[in-house]
Amino acid sequence: MPRSVLNNTVIPLLRQLTKKLGPQQAKNELRWMADHVRKAIPTKLTAEHATSARLWRDQPAPSAEETEVASKRFSSVQWAWLRQAVHDRVETNKPLQYILGTQPFGNASLLTRAPVLIPRWETEEWVLKLSDMIRAENTGLLNILDACTGSGCVALGLACALPRESVHITGVDVSHDACDLAIENLLRNKKAKQAVEFQRLDLNEQGVASELKSRGMWDMVVANPPYVTPNEYAELDPDVKDWEDVRALVPGDPMDVDQSGLSFVVRLAQLARELGLADGESTNLPRLVVEIGGAHQVDGARQAMHDNGFNLTEVWKDMAGIDRVVLGYHKT
Amino acid sequence: MNALRALRTRPMRALVRDVRLSGLLNTGMTQRYATTAQSKPALPPGSELAGKSNLTAKIHEKLKIMQYKHNKIMEQMTGDISGMEREDMARLAKEQSSMGMIVVPYEHLLKLYSELIELEQMMSADDPDLRRLAREERQEVLENVVTAENDIINALLPKDSAESAGAILEIRAGTGGDEASIFCGDLLHMYEKYAQLRKWKLETMSMDSEGDKIKEIVLKVSGRGVFGVLMFESGVHRVQRVPATETQGRVHTSTATVAVLPHAANVNIVIKESDLRIDVFRASGKGGQHVNTTDSAVRITHIPTGISVENQQERSQIQNRERAMQVLRARMYERERSRLDLERRASRNKLIGSGDRSEKCRTYNYAQNRVTDHRINFSMFNIEGMMNGTALQIVIDQLRIQHDLDELASMDNFDDISPPNQ
Repeated sequence: MPRSVLNNTVIPLLRQLTKKLGPQQAKNELRWMADHVRKAIPTKLTAEHATSARLWRDQPAPSAEETEVASKRFSSVQWAWLRQAVHDRVETNKPLQYILGTQPFGNASLLTRAPVLIPRWETEEWVLKLSDMIRAENTGLLNILDACTGSGCVALGLACALPRESVHITGVDVSHDACDLAIENLLRNKKAKQAVEFQRLDLNEQGVASELKSRGMWDMVVANPPYVTPNEYAELDPDVKDWEDVRALVPGDPMDVDQSGLSFVVRLAQLARELGLADGESTNLPRLVVEIGGAHQVDGARQAMHDNGFNLTEVWKDMAGIDRVVLGYHKT
Repeated sequence: MNALRALRTRPMRALVRDVRLSGLLNTGMTQRYATTAQSKPALPPGSELAGKSNLTAKIHEKLKIMQYKHNKIMEQMTGDISGMEREDMARLAKEQSSMGMIVVPYEHLLKLYSELIELEQMMSADDPDLRRLAREERQEVLENVVTAENDIINALLPKDSAESAGAILEIRAGTGGDEASIFCGDLLHMYEKYAQLRKWKLETMSMDSEGDKIKEIVLKVSGRGVFGVLMFESGVHRVQRVPATETQGRVHTSTATVAVLPHAANVNIVIKESDLRIDVFRASGKGGQHVNTTDSAVRITHIPTGISVENQQERSQIQNRERAMQVLRARMYERERSRLDLERRASRNKLIGSGDRSEKCRTYNYAQNRVTDHRINFSMFNIEGMMNGTALQIVIDQLRIQHDLDELASMDNFDDISPPNQ
């Protein structure tokens, strides 16, 4: 058989993926890749092409059944994309989300691009839980700062899950790549257009707090800050280490001698106090919501919050049972 | 009938017969009812001429009583109404209209029976033209009789509200390895095509497949009356053919199991959050920023009943959870529904196989081009038509007829025959 025919079957692709992912997940990922390639590289031209080719040769046009069967097959361009995708996935450990370019997150659909951090399901889980909380409280417009916004997932996840006019979210990130991607995601999710804005900002700079404060009253700070310790970073899978921005993973504070990974969480607690969130009347909603890496960071995060005036703290676990979110309240 | 009416003005053989005919046409029923009250229930005159009928004598009895009651109500409503309350009037009107749904076709049926008697007379007349006309008319009247009987049966049967809603269709490969999976794919194709014909919407809830070989697939079918049609598909479908993977041309037998559940869209199934255990893929390690996983499989277990549903179709855990919940709700609804059904009637209609998944319902024999449904012992010689969905309707129609008859026959407790709810 000609080699070209053998190249275009699913089995070698499946075998390659199985080596890396195991049988079940290999099937799932191949299915998602196939769905994606059908949408991204449409083959309408092939059907017309086949029809005109047949008619040109004085043969009857393909019947409806034939075109239907043929439309289910992949074209050679699509096969080439699939082979490249599987190769990248297996040989270079390129994350699936970067290959497909998208990731659903709550009610929003986000674009993903290296090296911006890919939204995690744990983040999606607490964002939706927080939005349920906010919806139930039904207060007036909340002014929320989303620090380390990355792809904009937290900001857009909240905005798409909440009714209009209930939140105004400002997402900031130190990385230009992240801000560009976040703005693209804002255009992609029109529902959030009025409620969200993105800006490039380095929260470690001097005078940031007063600059933000001058814009008005803030009600909440939410964040998925970098929390991987330098030791852990060395042990990470190549999926993550080779592809995602280290600044999104490891808090790069040269003063962080104790390697706890909490330096940015501490900075956020300070920032929240500087923005006045530790003052004023008590509310049922948290003032500061920060994602952490696990039980080893709970005490440090709670302490940092207490030190900055958030006298009540709460911890949420994710569905895998790991301590994932620390929330700080101000109660009088 | 007009031609015959014209002919009827010709003097018939005896005046007596005229009187007898007219007597039967007008007041025969009430007379007959009075005389046969104490004897065995009898069929209306002329019904034997219609051939084998689905309405037994007992049912005719009940229908007569209903007709009597209906006439009584009509009398009340057209008589002296000045003394009646408004709500009494409303109640009477409602009863009259709901009974009317059964009684009107029944009266029509009785008229048809008497027409048949007349036509019998015609058939033995001397004039060949008359005989020919009578034969043609008789054909038409017989068809009308069948329609009227079906109308009555439809009006009498208890309505299952689940039948008008959508359904969840599960197809699983049974014994037979790869060939069973390929057959699953063929069955899926059949149902897809059939749904297209009926203009139903199909949505894949979860699928476990490799190309054409499908190990398991769960579909949601939306449309009107979907469950009432697809409910007969539950059971084990058996195929006998030479598999595509076979090198020596031997015939193999493999099976696929189909389960159809009513889609619990608007039904209030109360599922307490605390009764659910939700399992997700746990990264061995820290999760969060440390890991990038694409595995968003969710398994939901309802602890009290032990029903568990898994879904890994979508790339987002939230979406998978939603799909799993839909299937879970459908399974719980089916459980609840079959429990209620069982309580309602002692003997379940044996055509709708649920629970017992080992019931062989249909065999597809490619070599003989034959499809046989074992529940009604019905064979059809059109495999291609079946597998591309066009001939499936024929089998379903037969199943539906048999199902209705069984329902009718099992209504031994005659309190079941009551005016239908509208």
